[in-house]
Amino acid sequence: MTTSDHTDHRSHGSHADTAEVWMENTGTYPLVRPPVIDADEVWKTYRNGSLEVDALRGVSFKIRSGEYVAVMGPSGSGKSTLMHILGCLDVPTSGTFHLAGEDVSTMSEEELAHVRNRRIGFVFQQFNLLASMPAWRNVELPLLYAGVDRPERKRRALEALDRVGLESRVDHRPGELSGGQQQRVAMARALVTDPDLILADEPTGNLDSVSANDVLGLLDELHRSGRTIVLITHEADVAQAAERTMRIRDGQILGEQLADSAAASR
Amino acid sequence: MNVLEIFRTGLEAVVTHRLRSALTVLGIMIGITAVILTVGLGEGAQQQVSSQISALGSNLLTVTPGSTTSSSGIRGGFGSASTLTVGDAAALTSGVVAPDINAVAPATTASESMVAGTANWTATVVGTNTSWLTVRGRSMTEGQFIAGHDLSTRADVVVLGATTAQELFGFRDPLGQTVNIAGQPMSIIGVLNTVGTSSSSSTSSNPDDQAVVPLTTASALLFGGSSRNSVSQILIQARSAGTLSAAYQEADAELLSLHGITSAASADFTITSEQQVLSTATSVDKTLTVLLGGVAGISLLVGGIGVMNIMLVSVTERIREIGLRKALGATPRVIRRQFLVEASVLGSVGGVLGAGLGLLGAAVLPHFISDKITISPVATVGAIVVAIGIGIAFGVYPAGRAARLAPIDALRSE
Ligand SMILES: Nc1ncnc2c1ncn2[C@@H]1O[C@H](COP(=O)(O)OP(=O)(O)O)[C@@H](O)[C@H]1O
Ligand SMILES: [Mg+2]
Repeated sequence: MTTSDHTDHRSHGSHADTAEVWMENTGTYPLVRPPVIDADEVWKTYRNGSLEVDALRGVSFKIRSGEYVAVMGPSGSGKSTLMHILGCLDVPTSGTFHLAGEDVSTMSEEELAHVRNRRIGFVFQQFNLLASMPAWRNVELPLLYAGVDRPERKRRALEALDRVGLESRVDHRPGELSGGQQQRVAMARALVTDPDLILADEPTGNLDSVSANDVLGLLDELHRSGRTIVLITHEADVAQAAERTMRIRDGQILGEQLADSAAASR
Repeated sequence: MNVLEIFRTGLEAVVTHRLRSALTVLGIMIGITAVILTVGLGEGAQQQVSSQISALGSNLLTVTPGSTTSSSGIRGGFGSASTLTVGDAAALTSGVVAPDINAVAPATTASESMVAGTANWTATVVGTNTSWLTVRGRSMTEGQFIAGHDLSTRADVVVLGATTAQELFGFRDPLGQTVNIAGQPMSIIGVLNTVGTSSSSSTSSNPDDQAVVPLTTASALLFGGSSRNSVSQILIQARSAGTLSAAYQEADAELLSLHGITSAASADFTITSEQQVLSTATSVDKTLTVLLGGVAGISLLVGGIGVMNIMLVSVTERIREIGLRKALGATPRVIRRQFLVEASVLGSVGGVLGAGLGLLGAAVLPHFISDKITISPVATVGAIVVAIGIGIAFGVYPAGRAARLAPIDALRSE
């Protein structure tokens, strides 16, 4: 297994109505590119015994490649639930979800693991680092499951840590790092596989404003380098960082708006 | 992810969770050590009994009065005069009627009090002939055994067992001294070799605590009375182990005809071989081994449940880790293999250490306790296999379940 086969999923399927020409990978043929995310009437119902909670109630939207989208809503509105479905960490109760043109519900466990590994970088509110491992070992984990060999893993992990400004903390364990530094380690882990899609669930929620700005700056940088970014937040000023903001409440999308800067640049 | 990486990840987890790993290894170790030692004790006892019985005399048949063949149990001879006589013994020595019999020793025994100076002691007195030494497989540490002329002259001589000599004379040399047996002064002409005693010996009398006198002397002077010619047993030595059953048939036929009995079922004597005693004793010890094995099995089970607990807890407390690894791209198979490596490493380390400790115990313990410990390869290998099996089963099973959880359910668990 290698990481050099990013393109294999991109050629599948086509949604002509929303397709756009993918300009980056101009091989011999221009590729018709489906939206990275295409959710259609997605419902998610949690059942705890007799208690049922509809966390998502018919959510439909699309996100195109290279977009920077914020999903904003109050606590309990279903943002995390949505992110878990977008990240193939959970499956919808009903409705369909296409990731880069592929229906996720038809994929096997192995294929889903592969998709998470190659195409998606996660940043969680609680960092989710392994406490027993130094920073660089946490960062190299996705590469381990991608089958990259050890020296190459280390090289790329150090490079990613360098990119988030933690080159002097590579051997520190998460417990020896501040919250902001830990979230930067998590960011390095999300970008080390060079994924198309970065999903960040309240990445600044546990951080002071300086660290929060660092994280947002990194997301911005990733966006500029062509990544698709979904930023989940309950704070309007954090959502400002994105080009487009979708408002979600009680499991439904209320509407969306383009940021002034994004609108201006179009 | 290749095998080497999976192996490395598993090993790393073992090292990271040191305490948990150590406890698991300890549980497996104790179970295996317990099995090796308890089964070893049982087998050791079995071997000890075998060697003691073979020390009693080789190729030995014992004729005793009375029958055990009838449904009424032992009958005839008992309580009245013995049905066996010196004449029976003499007839069996004939090379013509019993070519497979090497030596015959009639014996009559009684418990008698002995006095030497101020020392007083009660021991078994055996009246027998010159063949007794050979038939019993004994030898002399000093002096002579009873000779033919002692028998013909009804000499007042006695050969003492080592324990008897010690009790009567302490550390003084008993040779040439006189001991009063049932009031009769007898001079000591020899001391028997030491056989060694054991609590698990099948014979009730201690072979080192007896006094051997000529049969003629015993009948005339010691036991006297109506039973002058009767003996309490006839010991027969076959020429070899191979001719034991031929010797048995010759003795049986000769005694039946001498006693005028036509049906073997109504025989007034019983012939037993040491082989029978051996197999009875061995089967008793097999029962012991099974019992000990059961105890060991239970300790293995308890150890296994401990291991199971630790593995279950360790998987449960690492469900978040499993969820994270899955979120980052680990397939269920990779997760299962990582735990398989962990469990196998813990199991094998525990297995090797447990076997080592067991073998060490088997080598060292016999210096502190009187029992012998024999290593049973089957029990050792079995214990190791079971312990490692338990470790793997209870490490891999919950990990397999966790690996199948949706990553977010695993990641969300507390
Ligand atoms: N595992 C779960 N079981 C039951 N209910 C859940 C579970 N996860 C979330 N919920 C419920 O679903 C709703 C949406 O939760 P969530 O997606 O976490 O919201 P947000 O991230 O916007 O705060 C909430 O009412 C929450 O209580
Ligand atoms: Mg949330």
